[in-house]
Amino acid sequence: MADAPALPTPAPIKFRGSLALAARQFPRNRAATIGFVILLLICLATAFAPWVAPYDPIQIKLSMKLKPPSFEHPMGTDHFGRDVFSRMLWGGRTSLAVGLLVVGFAFTFGVPLGLASGYFGGKVDNMLMRLVDAFLTFPPLLLAVALVGLLGPDIKNVMLALGLVQAPILARMIRGSALAVREDVYVTAARALGASPLRIVLSHMLRNMVSPIVVQLTAVFAAAVVSEASLSFLGFGTQPPEPSWGRDMSEARRFLGDAPWMFLAPTSVIAICVLSINFMGDGLRDALDPRAWRTRRSVKADA
Amino acid sequence: MWSYLGRRLIQVPLVLLVVSLMTFAITRATPGDPVTIMLGMQTSPEAAKAMREEFNLDRSLPEQYGLWIAKVLTGDLGRSMRLNDRVTTLIAERLPISLQLASAGMLFALLVSIPLGVIAALRRNSWIDYLCTGYTVLGFAVPNFGLALILIYVFSIRLDWLPITGIGSSEAEAGGFWKHYSPFIIPAIALGSLQTAMLTRLLRSSMIDVLSQDYMRTARAKGLLPANIVIIHALKNAMIPFVTMAAVQFGYMIGVQVTIEYIFAVPGMGSAVLNAVINRDFPVIQGFTLVIAVFFLVMNILADMMYALLDPRIRY
Repeated sequence: MADAPALPTPAPIKFRGSLALAARQFPRNRAATIGFVILLLICLATAFAPWVAPYDPIQIKLSMKLKPPSFEHPMGTDHFGRDVFSRMLWGGRTSLAVGLLVVGFAFTFGVPLGLASGYFGGKVDNMLMRLVDAFLTFPPLLLAVALVGLLGPDIKNVMLALGLVQAPILARMIRGSALAVREDVYVTAARALGASPLRIVLSHMLRNMVSPIVVQLTAVFAAAVVSEASLSFLGFGTQPPEPSWGRDMSEARRFLGDAPWMFLAPTSVIAICVLSINFMGDGLRDALDPRAWRTRRSVKADA
Repeated sequence: MWSYLGRRLIQVPLVLLVVSLMTFAITRATPGDPVTIMLGMQTSPEAAKAMREEFNLDRSLPEQYGLWIAKVLTGDLGRSMRLNDRVTTLIAERLPISLQLASAGMLFALLVSIPLGVIAALRRNSWIDYLCTGYTVLGFAVPNFGLALILIYVFSIRLDWLPITGIGSSEAEAGGFWKHYSPFIIPAIALGSLQTAMLTRLLRSSMIDVLSQDYMRTARAKGLLPANIVIIHALKNAMIPFVTMAAVQFGYMIGVQVTIEYIFAVPGMGSAVLNAVINRDFPVIQGFTLVIAVFFLVMNILADMMYALLDPRIRY
């Protein structure tokens, strides 16, 4: 992970080797590769929305309102005559940015908490886990609704709320894998050699937890994208006229019969995103776990 | 097992204490004054002061929390600041509706996932297995409110088969069986789609697991009827993780209903919290979140218990 290059031991070279091996494994999973490519395309298209989007997403043009998909408007136009495709691209910026920031938030708080809890055990573990329990006792979406609703509908608050909801879930999972890894022989060996707890956790345990952590982070990303859309749908996220996947679906409710493309476009975009993320997560899990690697020999044996 | 249940139950008050602190903290640590929202900006200072006193908002935070908890312990969740109803009355009105909707969603999930999961496991790599995989993959990806809109468009607007509103309305409740239950169909399918995907996938993999066990071969060697083998020997064992997952998910559904209740104008728990949050109705937010948290907690403990009861190998 991020700490690897700073270590003076020869281990980093080996580690880069295993990462390179993992990178070679990943393309062998076709669904994961397709998911990765689609997600990359969506990310690039939304990131470069000002150049890619054919129209201004908030420019009202009533003469063009509720037009079905056509060559000029590939996803049709909405009730203000705005191009739905351009709105999807611009809206994706918020959704994906929130997703990434929530992943960052959950990682910065969830991983250290989970590691501390799993490594030290005892009182620390008990205290931290009761706190996590309390968070997990609330259905995640409801907690996010309460937090965002009370903090005020704003995209920064959406991010904060979703981060607060996701971090405990991640912490609980990290604790589980830390507990399992802690009992491994190489950890005992490192301790016997006099390694400090920090070093055991960071350079021995964490490295063997890369696969579950990365997979869980993809799950957090998918959950964050959907939750952001849910909150915006309920009116707590992006405010009009700014484009947003969830918010636009909420607006589309009034034109269900006349303009089905207005809700189909954001629904499909969200579904495609989540689908790609999930496939990518599956691929990463296999690629980062040497036991699941597909070699030429094993592929032949399967066939 | 009983000692495990005892230990779990001892922890419940502790978790509830933290939960109650959290619901309290969420309402107090956030901006927005309920009194100004309820009475409006132009209210007289006397009226505002009276309201503050009535709801103890003039006291210090620890005092407010103490007074609230003392009341909660006697079963009194206070009064709504906006509707002037008791919070317990509001919950008694809305919880049954939410439970009905969640049950309908779970019923749909069970009706689809059990046959689909079993057949997919029995006929691996057949078209029905691929259908099952495709269905689960989509179930995870399409958000429930998106699916709700698709279903409304197809079954209500285009085909005009099903109504979309009417859950909890007096008109529907006075009507016959169809009038009463038909408004549940679309919301239940939308609500249960994620659970259907989860449960189908779980049942398929646990069935495949069970089918490869030695006792399955023994059962076949004894010449038992194939249906007998699948239902009594395989399904019964494969259902153990399935049932626990279903219990946990049922508790979860009460909480994720917010979007569904919002679309279909269902007067349930989720929409009540939504409105209370917008109006800064502190007693309602605190009471409802507490009840939902307790429900969630109970379902989780129940799931653990069921696991132990169904699988005699498990000892806590």
